[in-house]
Amino acid sequence: MRDIHVNEDILLEEGFAEFVIDSQRDLDLSIRCLNHSQALFRIRNAKSLRIRGFADDGVESTVLFWNECEAPLTCDETYEVNEHTHLVIAYGECSGSKTDRSTYMALRKPYAHGELVSASLVNAPMDYRMNVVNFAPHTLGEIRNFAVVLKQGKLMIDAIGKIVKGAIRSRSHQTSRALSFEEGQRSTILPELLIDENDVEASHAMSIGRVDDEQLYYMMSRGLSLSQCTALLSAGYLMPVADVIDNEEVRNALRNELERKLSAL
Amino acid sequence: MKTLEIRNLHVDVEGKNILKGVDLTVKEGEVHALMGPNGNGKSTLLAAIMGHPKYTVTEGTITYDGKNVLEMTVDERSKAGLFLAMQYPQEIPGVTNSDFLRAAMNVRRESPVPLFTFIKSMEKTIKDLEMKEDLAHRFLNEGFSGGEKKRNEIVQMELLKPDVAMLDELDSGLDVDALHVVARAINNMRKEYPLSLIVVSHYERFYELIEPQFVHVLVDGKIAVEGDASLAKRIDEEGYDWIYKDYNIQPASVAAPVKRSVTLGSCAISEKAKAAK
Repeated sequence: MRDIHVNEDILLEEGFAEFVIDSQRDLDLSIRCLNHSQALFRIRNAKSLRIRGFADDGVESTVLFWNECEAPLTCDETYEVNEHTHLVIAYGECSGSKTDRSTYMALRKPYAHGELVSASLVNAPMDYRMNVVNFAPHTLGEIRNFAVVLKQGKLMIDAIGKIVKGAIRSRSHQTSRALSFEEGQRSTILPELLIDENDVEASHAMSIGRVDDEQLYYMMSRGLSLSQCTALLSAGYLMPVADVIDNEEVRNALRNELERKLSAL
Repeated sequence: MKTLEIRNLHVDVEGKNILKGVDLTVKEGEVHALMGPNGNGKSTLLAAIMGHPKYTVTEGTITYDGKNVLEMTVDERSKAGLFLAMQYPQEIPGVTNSDFLRAAMNVRRESPVPLFTFIKSMEKTIKDLEMKEDLAHRFLNEGFSGGEKKRNEIVQMELLKPDVAMLDELDSGLDVDALHVVARAINNMRKEYPLSLIVVSHYERFYELIEPQFVHVLVDGKIAVEGDASLAKRIDEEGYDWIYKDYNIQPASVAAPVKRSVTLGSCAISEKAKAAK
């Protein structure tokens, strides 16, 4: 595990690495992903984060940001995905404070494959702007958002998939789902597809809804309290984000942390 | 001795009066069969005992072991020893059978069930019900066939060991072999401890396997006839018409099916297509 307190250029080498971002000031980080690298960044403290990520040709890499800040956080991120490269950027949001996140991912060269994945336990205002742009032919951009919106939470997701002219045979797909447990919860998800090429494939799916009363009744009829049902259902919704990391120990640690958060609700 | 006592129970569902004064006493270890034509209140009675939020008790009492069941929340009723094997078990994506069952077992214990003990008893139960070994790791009822869902209800029942188990048309969706498997599992539980049962089924075959001592026939929200196992046999052979004639009563007309709401996890388009049929 390595602590990050100041601006840094980080090289992610093959294998798994864990970083802790802990700083009282604004941070500027650059991340260069090498092949078969996986990284977990725990964001403990940072006023605002500016991240520039870059994945070379032929690289397969995954980065998971685990936001456990107590204070409000603002992130501005851009990623460059190159030829025959597969880059996964995932977010686990467990912060109890306001979070603003803007992510821009450029699928710069042919056969670039970029994924933006988020799982958010929304207990404060949370604002996401996600922008994945297919600049080259045969590129694939995917956005997947899962959120559990709690009483204090307010979720706003603006997800844009864009395919520029000339990026033939490119694909842009997105799915966003938000789950709430109470009436009158505010969630806004804006899925957008900006397509400037004919020979492409694009889709979006979105759902915002309250947990089904019949499901709750079924679970409670086996003795689980309402808050236990909430915790189990939320865990089922959010846990899969930890699976992007190919390390059982890390996955279990993250699961336990999330479970603790949920059972404390 | 723990007794479930239902007195003069009136129940409304979405403003419609379904139960119109039901009396029923179920003592420890007794097996009661509930029969009656469709739409006359059998499932309503079981759902009202379990505390389904859509079922409103407008009059009457339900007590178990001297305690007022109507004041309990659904989970408290479960912890008090009541169990309902549902006619249409819900699918809960994202929650595995084992996580769900472990949580449900833990709420009725002082200290959490040790992992090893849990795995052992889960494996045994899965074997008893002849279910696939991967059941524990699958999401609760998701993608299960009708028969699998019903068997999974009994898996839960075997692990939770309720004092009073209500089976709402458990046998529908089960083939003959599965019916025997389920009945054997239930009868084995009865050998272990004085399990009380309230069984809703239309079929004599299931009653032959479970052997109820008491049979009640619900017609238009009231118990019209009561008797022993021979009553179930007569209904199987002759139907309900003789009851309407002998007791000069009319069954409630079958209500239109309740419209299912489109929720998360259901496909709005396919729901619409179903509704159009």
